[in-house]
Amino acid sequence: MRILLAKDTPALLRKGSTARVAAEVPAKFAPGDRVIVRNFHPHGHTRAPRYIRCKPGIIDRDHGVFAFPDAHAHGKGPCPQHVYSVRFAARDVWGDDASPRDAIYIDLWDDYLDPAG
Amino acid sequence: MNGVHDFGGMDGLGPIDYETNEPVFHAEWERRVFALTLAMGCTGAWNLDMSRHARERTPPAEYLAASYYEIWLSGLERLLDETGLLSRAELDARVAALRAAAD
Amino acid sequence: MGKHRHTEPPSDLVLRVKALESLLVEKGLVESAALDVLIDTYENKVGPRNGAKVVARAWSDDAYKARLLTDAGAAIAELGFTGRQGEDMLVVENTPKVHNLTVCTLCSCYPWPVLGLPPVWYKSAPYRARAVRDPRGVLREFGLELPDDVEIRVWDSTAELRYLVLPERPAGTEGLGEDDLAKLVTRDSMIGVAKASAPGRPEEARP
Repeated sequence: MRILLAKDTPALLRKGSTARVAAEVPAKFAPGDRVIVRNFHPHGHTRAPRYIRCKPGIIDRDHGVFAFPDAHAHGKGPCPQHVYSVRFAARDVWGDDASPRDAIYIDLWDDYLDPAG
Repeated sequence: MNGVHDFGGMDGLGPIDYETNEPVFHAEWERRVFALTLAMGCTGAWNLDMSRHARERTPPAEYLAASYYEIWLSGLERLLDETGLLSRAELDARVAALRAAAD
Repeated sequence: MGKHRHTEPPSDLVLRVKALESLLVEKGLVESAALDVLIDTYENKVGPRNGAKVVARAWSDDAYKARLLTDAGAAIAELGFTGRQGEDMLVVENTPKVHNLTVCTLCSCYPWPVLGLPPVWYKSAPYRARAVRDPRGVLREFGLELPDDVEIRVWDSTAELRYLVLPERPAGTEGLGEDDLAKLVTRDSMIGVAKASAPGRPEEARP
């Protein structure tokens, strides 16, 4: 264990600690792909909010490869994979009383997504 | 986890309570909890994902009633106990001792 | 004869935090001086004035703005703002037709190096619940009514990407230098719950 010392703190804070992983991992999806968030309900940690599960979206951007929280939070290592910005139409998430124009963008990992049929 | 922290789309939580020119910290104990959490996070005893999950496991009624740094405190105590660095029993004993000294 | 109290007894919470800190220091797990640096950094040294400088630069310099929208992290680092909870940045631009709003529904993720620590309302249940569900209602609560033909994009910071909204440059600011432009850029406009201030308005003081 490494104790944080005052003299090291400013540099450490300025450097931060990225979750990005320098690993060559193939992406399952590309911008423009239609996807659907999986029907999954882990009892452990996840960063897929309930409101987005099973909803259809479109890959807007591939952010690159990052540690996967669902594994990393449980001592299973970073399990690096692509994270995408996925665009969801407000009406696809909340139904017809939502704005027809608005959208929600959520950052989701490869393992949360299936290709839409 | 399908926990109470997963607020997106939840109803009934009331209006947004905006404080004009709010201070970064509202009390000294908040400063301490903030700093202790970051300092312990830097030890490598756990990672950020573990610390988020520890906060999420704050019992629901407590989570909903708590202020932000109370949730951080809850998460920190949970992690310290689960990693064996500081048991709840030892912390409770020290709290009792401090209370006795203050009375 | 009873004890005389000159001060209120510490609350349970205060006592608990004192107990926790003393134990962690005694066990050699935390260094007290490091705690002070952490607090000082985020209470005094890092805050939304950083992000305001980024925005003002983008408003003043088209080439900088292009870099900011292509590789936000590198462009923000040009101004020296880097670090924890801002390692992987994205800037989303407001236009007359698109308005961006940022939230972390699951906790409180926020771009610390450019905005400092988040305000209580951003971290609290009502905002986290409603920003994704009813962004127009949330903006209305903040006093901002957007026409139906404006698309609202709500960014839920579920991963480690951190979002900064680039608000529209207010009208009537042609010829203002970067320092004066930065004064118009409020924290709220960089989260997306407000527009940047108009020049000459006294409420510029709002962070």
